[in-house]
Amino acid sequence: MMGVFDVLLLVVLIAVAVGALHGRRLFSSVVLFIVFGLLMALVWLRLHAPDVALAEAVVGAGISGVLLLDALGRLGKGEDEGGDERAD
Amino acid sequence: MLADVLTLALVALGCWFFLSGTLGLLRFPDVYTRLHALTKADNLGLGLVAFGLLWQAPDWPTAVKLLLVWLLGVLASTTAAHMVGRAALGAGQSAWRAEP
Amino acid sequence: MTMFLAAVAVFLLLNIALGLVRIVRGPTMADRMLAAQLFSSTGIAIMLVLSVVLAEPAVLDVALIFAVLAVLATLAFTRRLWKSTGGR
Repeated sequence: MMGVFDVLLLVVLIAVAVGALHGRRLFSSVVLFIVFGLLMALVWLRLHAPDVALAEAVVGAGISGVLLLDALGRLGKGEDEGGDERAD
Repeated sequence: MLADVLTLALVALGCWFFLSGTLGLLRFPDVYTRLHALTKADNLGLGLVAFGLLWQAPDWPTAVKLLLVWLLGVLASTTAAHMVGRAALGAGQSAWRAEP
Repeated sequence: MTMFLAAVAVFLLLNIALGLVRIVRGPTMADRMLAAQLFSSTGIAIMLVLSVVLAEPAVLDVALIFAVLAVLATLAFTRRLWKSTGGR
């Protein structure tokens, strides 16, 4: 069963990485990068390296996510998607 | 034996709440309803999983850590829900209404 | 019991894969950030389950760090990014 978990984890990880690299919206890429950090921490846990997973958690979820979002705010890169858009 | 049954039941129930939270995120029509689905159902699921795994804990520091994870999760998601909700209201996003 | 918990980990990972749809579809920035919030709480649950499956208590520390840091990205989002772009 853990084999299924590993395969699924890798597939989702690669999908998220490709989405973050080739997304058209900058903000989506930042969010996908935060998700990538979380999944990467799970990969380190599966490799029996909890210490590396700790570092990945702090850097990926904590520092780099906040820095990227802040940088996006300073760039003034508001998305062109409206605030009042009706969801489907 | 009883501990195993408790773990099985509580973790399975937690999975159900996680599934409903995800479906709520996918199916609900606007930010406010999605906030509602996510921050409540998800943290109930996290609490049930933590409480179920409590019965497998070998010693009491592990059990305390499990409970601490749940407490921090609840605290974090409450804060996040309030901030996103207030920001969405301030940005003037209108709430969803059923089609007449 | 290990088998059941491994199946639970796979199920929670499937939840994350399902939630990726919301990040791709949007439509507003808040929706994408909310999906990241969902992923972090699901990821914490996966870590709790993995700590029993892998019989490694150190995994719990990673989950603890994630629980502390999960809110930071959302805080940076609402305080810095959303405010500076006026929610659009």
